[in-house]
Amino acid sequence: MDKKSEDALVTAAKSGDRDAFERLINHYYDVIFKFACKWCGNANDAEDITQDACIKLARFIGKYDGKSAFTSWLYRLVINCGKDWYKSQNRHPTPNPDTLERVKTESKSEDQLYAKQVINALYQLPEGEKDAVILVLSEGLSHKEAAITLGCKESTISWRVHEARKKISAQFKEEQSYG
Amino acid sequence: MDDQKRDDILKNIDTPVIDTNAKKRALNLAMAEFDSVQKEKAARKEKKFQGFQILSRLMGNSNTQTNKRKRNTMEQRSHKKFIYGGMATAAAVIIVAGIGLQLAPNFSAQSQFAQHAAIDTLSAGNAAPQNKGRTETRSQMSNESALVEQESFAPQPSSSPAPKEKADQLSGHKNAPQKEQAKMQRQHGIAEGKAVPMRSKDEAVAARTMIAPTSPSSTNFTGIMHEADSMIALAPADIVPNHYQDTGRDKFSDFIENPFKSVTADPVSTFSADVDTASYSFVRRQLNNGVLPQKDAVRVEELINYFDYDYDTPTDKSEPFKPSVTITESPWNAGKQLMHIGIKGYEFTGAQPNSNIVFLLDVSGSMNSPDKLPLVKNSMKMLLSSLKPDDTVSIAVYAGAAGTVLEPTKVSDKAKIIAAFDRLSAGGSTAGAAGINLAYQLAEQNFDDNAVNRVILATDGDFNVGINNREELKDFVERKREKGVFLSVLGFGQGNYNDDMMQALAQNGNGIAAYIDTLSEARKVLVEEATSSLFPIAKDVKFQIEFNPERVSEYRLVGYETRALNREDFNNDAVDAGDIGAGHSVTAIYEITPVGAVQSVDPLRYGQKDEETAEKKYNADNIYNEQNFEQEIAFLKMRYKLPKEDVSKLMTQPITQENNANNTETQFATAVASFAQILKGGKYTGNMSYDDVIALANAAKGDDPFGYRAEFIQMVRLAKTASDMQP
Repeated sequence: MDKKSEDALVTAAKSGDRDAFERLINHYYDVIFKFACKWCGNANDAEDITQDACIKLARFIGKYDGKSAFTSWLYRLVINCGKDWYKSQNRHPTPNPDTLERVKTESKSEDQLYAKQVINALYQLPEGEKDAVILVLSEGLSHKEAAITLGCKESTISWRVHEARKKISAQFKEEQSYG
Repeated sequence: MDDQKRDDILKNIDTPVIDTNAKKRALNLAMAEFDSVQKEKAARKEKKFQGFQILSRLMGNSNTQTNKRKRNTMEQRSHKKFIYGGMATAAAVIIVAGIGLQLAPNFSAQSQFAQHAAIDTLSAGNAAPQNKGRTETRSQMSNESALVEQESFAPQPSSSPAPKEKADQLSGHKNAPQKEQAKMQRQHGIAEGKAVPMRSKDEAVAARTMIAPTSPSSTNFTGIMHEADSMIALAPADIVPNHYQDTGRDKFSDFIENPFKSVTADPVSTFSADVDTASYSFVRRQLNNGVLPQKDAVRVEELINYFDYDYDTPTDKSEPFKPSVTITESPWNAGKQLMHIGIKGYEFTGAQPNSNIVFLLDVSGSMNSPDKLPLVKNSMKMLLSSLKPDDTVSIAVYAGAAGTVLEPTKVSDKAKIIAAFDRLSAGGSTAGAAGINLAYQLAEQNFDDNAVNRVILATDGDFNVGINNREELKDFVERKREKGVFLSVLGFGQGNYNDDMMQALAQNGNGIAAYIDTLSEARKVLVEEATSSLFPIAKDVKFQIEFNPERVSEYRLVGYETRALNREDFNNDAVDAGDIGAGHSVTAIYEITPVGAVQSVDPLRYGQKDEETAEKKYNADNIYNEQNFEQEIAFLKMRYKLPKEDVSKLMTQPITQENNANNTETQFATAVASFAQILKGGKYTGNMSYDDVIALANAAKGDDPFGYRAEFIQMVRLAKTASDMQP
């Protein structure tokens, strides 16, 4: 789906077009789910958060003002849903990267191990840095878009991504130096 | 450190494949929400006041059941701005949207269920408690939308090959006790080596792979059933032993073991019959998990009465049972004796009476695990084989909403009934949570004065059946019982099991309360003992034993703590008591101290007078003739009502030393009683150990045609292992 038809869909859904909204959910469910998975690091929780987010979307799509990209707005909604969900469950996110990985048998095990360590390191980052990394690196948002999603300044995002990269790399250096 | 590599990894974080069912569910919910939002918008435009009706519906809907909590909060959260127009409307719309959108074929709903079940088993392996709420909510939703789905589907023609295959399948189960036993032995082997059966996760994975091929394209639903069966057979072992403590959410009424009572102070003991067996299966389940059951879960009499004893049977229906009393030496305390009172109900020789049965099944989210709803369905199908072609069966379900899945149907139309069971995860629905009302309505709709009219409630303890108040529910069941519709309760699953409530309901409904943990337990209760489970031969059976202070100085009733009656209740026909079904056997054991033996309770220093008055009391009762008192140890009185009668009959029998006998039946009962009491802490069993119980039971195994007694011995071994593991 290209940008233009996406926008048209969102506008139609906003105005109360049932079919458009259905197509919208059909399309964005995957996006939301994938993002939720990365955000909380736990596929089981992500499924519930996604469900909540879809319901919220139905209620609040009218509030989308079109000033920012729809996805930036959507990610913000998902993060809020996720936070609410964990609050309602009375617990904190429990990242379990094992639930995220599809089994890739063809790739080298050494690479897999490395990937695993990187992802584990990701979930040890402070929340703001983790969110910034996921939005910018994984979801491919611009720093500006990510700033809208997380409700902070663009420079904050840049700094957070920088910090996160440094921290993840540092963890490896540490491990290597200890042998 | 390769920065590029690092960023590549972060760019391509893997996410699992999207579950299309979850997506569909989310889509349905979102659409429902969307519709309600649009409706609200329109309503706001019209500025129309929607009236108080919605408010009252809203209040009616706000039930307090715990497993609905999350859904409610979610609804409240998303609707808090629209108190007047919101919640009730949204709930209704979810259902409407379900019809329009959930166009999945019937089978996908089934396989969806199976997948869920498998996932549940898996998650039990790592994070069961956290996951529970989630699964409940989601499947709750899916149930609601799924319930509706069925309305748009006529009975599936594909179910026609069912009867034959089903029958094959059922007969295939006949040899299962041995299998079960073999399984237990295997498990025990592991338990001894490693102390805990730890093979759970692997097997859960195996269970999942078994389910996996059940693709939506599969039209052979018996295949699905077979797989489900084998999964269920594994179920008890599949659960990772979680150390069971009294703080579990399973609810049992607590009680204190009967103590020794002095005959001079309290010469009369009164209690009601109890043929329930729920406690035994629950205990077995716990032990299979490698943990000792909580003490209140062990009701000694239910463990004893789980087994069928070869007592003398009456031949005449008018006198439905016959007591056989034996006296043996007590293995628990030197010098004491055990007095066994065994009665066996009359067994039908001719045709069994007609039945009009309504299944009321819990299909709420919490039932969504392999040892719950799938087991319920299979159990109910088994029960069909015990019914006659003329009998009528109907099915009602309840979750957030209640609905009739099957209007009263003759058992001869088995294919239709089985198809209804198979559709259950996609059952029909009407608004309102009035499950139990609906079930009784169905029963009354087809009421047959000459038949046994019975509602069979299958649940994991969530009694969201429309009446939330516990006392009100009991009264409701009691009133219906007086009209002739009885209630039996079958318990399933663990974690939310409400034993307390189930016992109360079954007692008020003149029915049995059984706990079904495995398919073979279902077969025992619903096939092998179908006649006793379904057809009462006597109701309100009460026992009263009066001890002769000349011969007995003290006594202790083993078990029946929850069934104790007041002395005056015995002759009061208005007081409800236990019921006995065809062929049921009931055993009560007293531990007595003969006069002259060492007493547990010190005799009274100034007690001489008391003794005399007690003796006088004994003499004064005019139904005894005066000669043989010295021979009598005690006097047994029983009261019962025939099923259709309201006035009780009295049956009496003096117990003398001549009853002194020792046979395998009483020995086995003693072994079970010992075991149960040791599980409860061994306050009265002296030095008796699990090994002694095994030895005693082994010697008294008898014929044991179904292997239940052998299973018991295995269970004692498991208990021994589990108790060794206790900190």
